[in-house]
Amino acid sequence: MRAVIPVWIGVGVAALAYPFLADPYWLTVGILAIFYAIVTASWTLLVGYAGQFSFGHVAFVALGAYASALLVKDGGWPIPLAALAAVAVCLVVGAGIGGICLRMRGPYLAIFTLAFSEVLRIVITTENEVTGGSGGLQAATLFHGRSDIPYYLVALGLLVFSLAAMGLMVRSRWGLFFRAIRENEQAAAASGVRVVRFRVLVFAIASSFAGLAGAFYAHYIGMLTPDIGSVDQMGLVVAMAVIGGSESLPAAVLGAIAVEVLVEALRAYGQWRLVLFGALLLLTMRFARNGLLTLGWEQLRRALPRRVAVR
Amino acid sequence: MTALIEAAGLTRRFGGIVAVNALDLVIEPGELVGLIGPNGSGKTTTINMLTGHLAPSAGHVHLRGHRADGMAADRFATRGVGRTFQITQLFGRMTVMENMLVPGLARPGSTRADATPAAWRHLEFLNLAGLAGLPARSLSGGQQKLLELGRALMLEPAILFLDEPFAGVNPVLRDEIIVMVQALHAGGRTFVVVDHDLEAIQRLVGRLVVMSRGTKIADGTVAEVREDPAVVHAYTGDA
Repeated sequence: MRAVIPVWIGVGVAALAYPFLADPYWLTVGILAIFYAIVTASWTLLVGYAGQFSFGHVAFVALGAYASALLVKDGGWPIPLAALAAVAVCLVVGAGIGGICLRMRGPYLAIFTLAFSEVLRIVITTENEVTGGSGGLQAATLFHGRSDIPYYLVALGLLVFSLAAMGLMVRSRWGLFFRAIRENEQAAAASGVRVVRFRVLVFAIASSFAGLAGAFYAHYIGMLTPDIGSVDQMGLVVAMAVIGGSESLPAAVLGAIAVEVLVEALRAYGQWRLVLFGALLLLTMRFARNGLLTLGWEQLRRALPRRVAVR
Repeated sequence: MTALIEAAGLTRRFGGIVAVNALDLVIEPGELVGLIGPNGSGKTTTINMLTGHLAPSAGHVHLRGHRADGMAADRFATRGVGRTFQITQLFGRMTVMENMLVPGLARPGSTRADATPAAWRHLEFLNLAGLAGLPARSLSGGQQKLLELGRALMLEPAILFLDEPFAGVNPVLRDEIIVMVQALHAGGRTFVVVDHDLEAIQRLVGRLVVMSRGTKIADGTVAEVREDPAVVHAYTGDA
């Protein structure tokens, strides 16, 4: 861990300097990349660490976004409080989904969560008197200046907080239990792990971070449409996690940032960039199943001097 | 003295099939019991009900005098009931040490400061200490069986159910496992061992329970059970 600290310091300095060096377009890309990084990291917690393959994760992004926006618009709540409440809503609903899914595994869990996500998207679309439907819902913005630098710094702060919280969790006994559940639920139960509790817990926690990202998105973009919770968005998050590394929080974050930057950098090639991403996904699944960036990360860790663990 | 585990009228049905039929079984503290029977006699189903991995269709289970049937498997585990599985169940991509730490940290009130030295102690007992950093799935079949035993020991169990611990292991390792179980038993642990290796079972246990077609047909010393006509018939079909 200590050997990679200089790397993290370098990354931190670069991240802090970025908004002051980038032009407004790339600053927006940077902010969106951080948004996707939080969503992807939270999906990695759920899928990569705990083995709960959910295709409904972006539903909580949508839920957090709309809940926060509506609390501000219709309830007059201040944005920070509305965002917190939206996170709490996602925590509770996520726990509920986790509880319902207790007997589901693999494809059945994926299909159920996908169905939940689509149901939520359709509800948001049809309840247009409340949500604005496909026409969109205007959300109050967090800042009113012309520069997006404050948004970038808030997003970066939320990412650091999210990674720190999730990182502490995966390094704790909870992380050990999540991975045990992922590997073998029967053995986990025989080892005393409260499988039911931890499956519900991981759903709740991952959903709350997705809701946090959604709330930020709402009060940054200022306009919400139901597409924020679409299957396309879920596919993008999956691609980010797979390409980066779905069993490592840092790799998933870097994957999200890399894919978002590439999506924008290759915009001139139109739909051909999707062909490129498809090819990249195939190559990753074939040659680097733990993710391209995880492969690079492991090479870096091996290259750096390490302290030998003492018993 | 309160029995460690007491099953009364324990029954398990799978649709129209009665896998275990009204089983009465009492395991006292300090016993080393063998549970044998032909394939399909209900041994593993019985263990699954006595460890919380299956709820009985009828009957009761008492753990140290407290009603326990229907309790979840993890609660059996944290209340001192350890087990291994017929087909070894490990956390394959986690290291040997992490496999040990999962039950070590699942015990209420445990800390890494407690669990880590205990894990090293058990790994040294099982001759696996040198493999602590390796993924569990990279171990040989015999080593995986030992690791599964070590994982169960991390619960500091009062009773251990071993489901076919000698299956697929070479004779040298089989003898090592016998010595290990005897040492653990001498240290005060209670064992119920299921296996088809009758030679190993007879070397190990003082009491034999025999099942056939879901029913207990014999329960006594090794010598008594060996002469029981019902047992002979169950295994050979001879009258």
